[in-house]
Amino acid sequence: MKAKTAQTGTVGQAIPRTEGSAKVTGRAEYVHNLQLPGMLYGKIHRSTIAHGRIRRVDTTAAQALEGVHRVVTGEDIRAAVSDPHYGPAFHDQPILAFEKVRYAGEPVAVVLATDPHVAEEAAARIVVEYEELPAVFDEVEAMTSKAVVHEVLKPAGTFPDLKHLQGRRNTNVALDYRLRRGDVEAAFKKADHVFEHTFRTQQVLHVPLEPFVTVVEPGESGVTIHTSSQSPSFVRIEIARLLGWPENRIRVKVPYLGGGFGAKLYIKLEALVTVLALITRRPVKIALTMEEQFYTITKHAATLRIKSGVTKDGRITARACEVWWNGGAYADIGPRVTQKSGFTAPGPYDIEHVHIDSYALYTNLPPAGALRGFGIPQLVWAYEGHTDMIARALKMDPVEFRRRNLLVNGRPQATGTVMKDAAIDTVLERAAARMEWGKPCDPGTGTIRRGRGIAIGFKASISPTTSVAIVNLYADGSCALYCGTVDMGQGSDTAMAQIVSEILGVPIGSVTVVHPDTDVTPYDMATLGSRSTYHMGHAVRLAAEDARDKLMALTREVGLSAETAPIRDVFRKKYGMQAGNIVGTGTFIPTYTPTDHDTGQSANVTPFWMIGATGAEVEVDTETGQVRVTRLVNVADAGTPINPRIVETQLSGAAIMQLGFTLSEKMEFSAGQCTNASLAAYRIPGMLDIPPGIENEAVESAERGGPFGAKGVGETGTFGVSPAIASAIEDAVGVRLMSLPITPEAVFRALRAKQGNPLKDN
Amino acid sequence: MIPFELVEPRTLREAASLLASGDPAVRPLAGGTAVMLMMKMGVLRPARLVSLRAVERRCSEIREADGELRLGAMVTLSALERSPIVKNLAPVIVRASRTLSNVRVRNVATVGGHLAHADPHMDLPPVLIALGASVTTVDPEGGRTIPLETLYAGYLETALRSNELIAEVSVPVQGVRRAAYLKCTTRSADDWPALGVAVVLDTEGDAVREARIVVSAATDTPTRLSAAEEALRGARADEKILRRAGEAAAAAANVVGDEHGSAAYKRELLRVYLARAVKQALASKG
Amino acid sequence: MSVGSKTIRFTLNGEAVGAEVPPHWNLVELLQNRFGLYGARESCGQGLCGCCTALVDGRAVSGCLYLAALADGTRVETVEQPAAGGGLDAVQKAFIECGAFQCGFCTPGFVLMSRKLLDENPDPTEDDIRHYLSGNLCRCATYPEIIEAVKLAARLRKKRDATADKRR
Repeated sequence: MKAKTAQTGTVGQAIPRTEGSAKVTGRAEYVHNLQLPGMLYGKIHRSTIAHGRIRRVDTTAAQALEGVHRVVTGEDIRAAVSDPHYGPAFHDQPILAFEKVRYAGEPVAVVLATDPHVAEEAAARIVVEYEELPAVFDEVEAMTSKAVVHEVLKPAGTFPDLKHLQGRRNTNVALDYRLRRGDVEAAFKKADHVFEHTFRTQQVLHVPLEPFVTVVEPGESGVTIHTSSQSPSFVRIEIARLLGWPENRIRVKVPYLGGGFGAKLYIKLEALVTVLALITRRPVKIALTMEEQFYTITKHAATLRIKSGVTKDGRITARACEVWWNGGAYADIGPRVTQKSGFTAPGPYDIEHVHIDSYALYTNLPPAGALRGFGIPQLVWAYEGHTDMIARALKMDPVEFRRRNLLVNGRPQATGTVMKDAAIDTVLERAAARMEWGKPCDPGTGTIRRGRGIAIGFKASISPTTSVAIVNLYADGSCALYCGTVDMGQGSDTAMAQIVSEILGVPIGSVTVVHPDTDVTPYDMATLGSRSTYHMGHAVRLAAEDARDKLMALTREVGLSAETAPIRDVFRKKYGMQAGNIVGTGTFIPTYTPTDHDTGQSANVTPFWMIGATGAEVEVDTETGQVRVTRLVNVADAGTPINPRIVETQLSGAAIMQLGFTLSEKMEFSAGQCTNASLAAYRIPGMLDIPPGIENEAVESAERGGPFGAKGVGETGTFGVSPAIASAIEDAVGVRLMSLPITPEAVFRALRAKQGNPLKDN
Repeated sequence: MIPFELVEPRTLREAASLLASGDPAVRPLAGGTAVMLMMKMGVLRPARLVSLRAVERRCSEIREADGELRLGAMVTLSALERSPIVKNLAPVIVRASRTLSNVRVRNVATVGGHLAHADPHMDLPPVLIALGASVTTVDPEGGRTIPLETLYAGYLETALRSNELIAEVSVPVQGVRRAAYLKCTTRSADDWPALGVAVVLDTEGDAVREARIVVSAATDTPTRLSAAEEALRGARADEKILRRAGEAAAAAANVVGDEHGSAAYKRELLRVYLARAVKQALASKG
Repeated sequence: MSVGSKTIRFTLNGEAVGAEVPPHWNLVELLQNRFGLYGARESCGQGLCGCCTALVDGRAVSGCLYLAALADGTRVETVEQPAAGGGLDAVQKAFIECGAFQCGFCTPGFVLMSRKLLDENPDPTEDDIRHYLSGNLCRCATYPEIIEAVKLAARLRKKRDATADKRR
């Protein structure tokens, strides 16, 4: 720990996570663990219908129950907050429904009591009378439906590309994103072959095992919000806007999260619990049950139509994509999904003529937001299925067909942005090599047939976004990093500490990562979209470098040798005792060129690209349609990993999560009511569901713009899983599934249809 | 959940008398997993729960008597799984236990509760029916013996009266009979089954003398498939016979569709799994 | 709704304790509200995910489906129970070494279940591990690492036992 820092070599090492001991002893801090004196528990009464006017909310029976402190309705919220609508893209979501409900499960009233059992019992006694309105559930129907979810569109103003929607009426379209490059129609006419396919994905759920929880403490001059949020800075700014307060009266604190996956972004319970705490002047806690998570935020179901013109030697010359995103009743971040993912809809291929229309739709279903990939897994499902089907039709090897069309560095992507530091070709080749693609695959015998498939996808990072970090060097040479990145399991605490350790030359154990606390930690856009390693990593690097430079200057000032003097001696010499601090700061925002509204073109659409490929081997039981994934090979370009083990765990975890979305998970609805809102009825993968062989590889790569060559990886493992499995199934038994999830029954029905003996329901 | 009175009688008879006949708000509590789930969902709102935890010790015993395996109603499923007596007398039960729910549930759930809950997705009812088990009950006046096959009246419904408790299960030993239980899950490995098939075969050489076949999960109650049993009786279980048995089963069983699969699909699964279960039983040593 | 609370006495992580509990509380509520122990936590609420795992008389149970009142007279252990001799036990060390957790919410359940597995079966096969732990869910899907950690813990425990034997 000399003043002149020697590189510790911490970056790039697979060191164990810094919070390990706290997690294996059950002592890690979650909001879940927080109980405050005098605290009230809130339980929510939810809408039982998908769309309707609220005629009357009868709270008499609830209020009469012994132990009930207060019942709060949407009208009470309105009395406290003049415009109680929030949202990152549109100010469309009311804190509690008033006048109308727009989905079954929407919060309508809250009961507050010191005993949560009392609150729950009372919430069940609330009676709401509705006048039902026609509802719309399907995203394609929503384009033209007479049932309109919102009377008028209210863009939040944060995103310039939504401004044109201000005040629009009689529409469910929350964003119509378009990209135009070249002339697809002319290219289709010239093409030797034209292929067109339509794919579907289902609505699924994040299922963090720590359900949403928020505790708010009202204080003399403001409020403290303890919340399981991935976006503390957004929470502060949005609550400040709702209340008309300055930011400094709102303090948002976030300890560890028990999983997030994109669910815990923007405003979830925070606005509601804050207003309840202000109304009652008591601390209030709302902790959702697992069931209630199904009514909070989900992943978009989508319909994707994709059409390609191809030459007879296997070059894709033109591609047209139409995507309809089922956003549910409130936009949340859906319009971002529509645009940010929309522009990669043609896939990681070098295609001259591209035409994309991507629509965010309102429907009367629970809202959809970001889920580990921001729409990318839905798109890859379509474009890689389509790509495989074309290769098959042309009797070309699917990997070879991809090779011929791959987008390489130096070539423009559909937006016109020239690809850089994107190891698309390496990722594909490494996946193919691990799968031994050149060798034939055992086709199986009898009723068990084997097959394999490969798929590759890519994603841009969200841009332009800001991260700020502070490094506080103490007089004994240990230090703290004040960092707004939320560690929800991805290991950011460890990676960020590694960066500080590397730059200051202090052991990792001397670096404390201070968790998000908006009174202490500086601004960070959010922990989402695999942005933290790159954006916050840069800010942390800059803050640590700033502290190091200041330490050097101080060392010189007090006349010590930077080569030999320990840090503590520098402080002692300056302040006469162990005293003082050195504070380094770092701010990072990448450059960005906005996309043109009419053509979607931009010279600089993303700071970096994430690339992920998956190879799958499957066994299909031809008598039952059951699919067993025997091997899953996940290969990614994650730049140069800060911590290779954490990167591998992220890849594997993301792939297994996507395996659930591929084979089993689906929210079922009846008249808009989710009918499987529990883990008994909505099955996520367990130990017995994971393939015996899972391999993960981050290819040799460097992101020149990233800290130490690193870039994001949290979502990458999800990209290729679903289409790789579908292609493996086709390879095994000759049927192509176009909708997720691929249930045994779906495979069985496809097999029977192929035999000309479709399964009859009677 | 709302508060209730929790009582812990010392005998089953006392427990039965505490279960005031006809009052749905008074319910017995054995391992409690199903009761807790129903209370949490709000479908059960008891005024009084009668815990069976403290009843006679013999209710938790596994023993052999009169050529039968006797299982006390309060025997936990994990005790069953680990019992050398069960392994010796009815190994199919031990094999079926391994994939039954999960370790924690097996640690507290009891044989009596498992049978009396009458959820058709449970694993042991088809196995025990196929083995020819019966239950002995206790009520305030006395008790009776009910063949397990006739215990089930419908989805979550049994022939038990509200003040009648299962005391013991009697299972004819498996002996030389060959048995298998197969279940099919369609969403995750640990899911509730879409279908369960239990098969117990009396064999002579490579021919089947008598078969007892029970389907569960796909039907509202675990159901004997007599037509399929008939198709196997006295026959060598070759592909043709198995196909015939499968057809007979699919035609006879009152299969219902649900989130695990449509009725049409489950009928196909029944054909396939019935044949596989027979083959597995024939290939097994017991 | 406060009728019928009952005083229970039991052993909690080796210490004799008493508490007053309403009849409808489950074991998780008892541990959190009366003893400030948050390692067992309710997630799915249906006994499927294992986040609420605790040991009652040495048997793993789902705390969310276990009535607190029934803990009367039992021996309850939670993940907060210090390892014999203090510090971390073999399973906990192996979980850290193998990176067998991400968000950590399910980890206490996995730690307790893995410990029980190794108590019952000191040398489990991968198939044994998968079956025994199939009732614990990890949404971060750290399953491959957990399997490795259990294997490592088995080796660590054997080494410990061998050392203990030598000392005897």
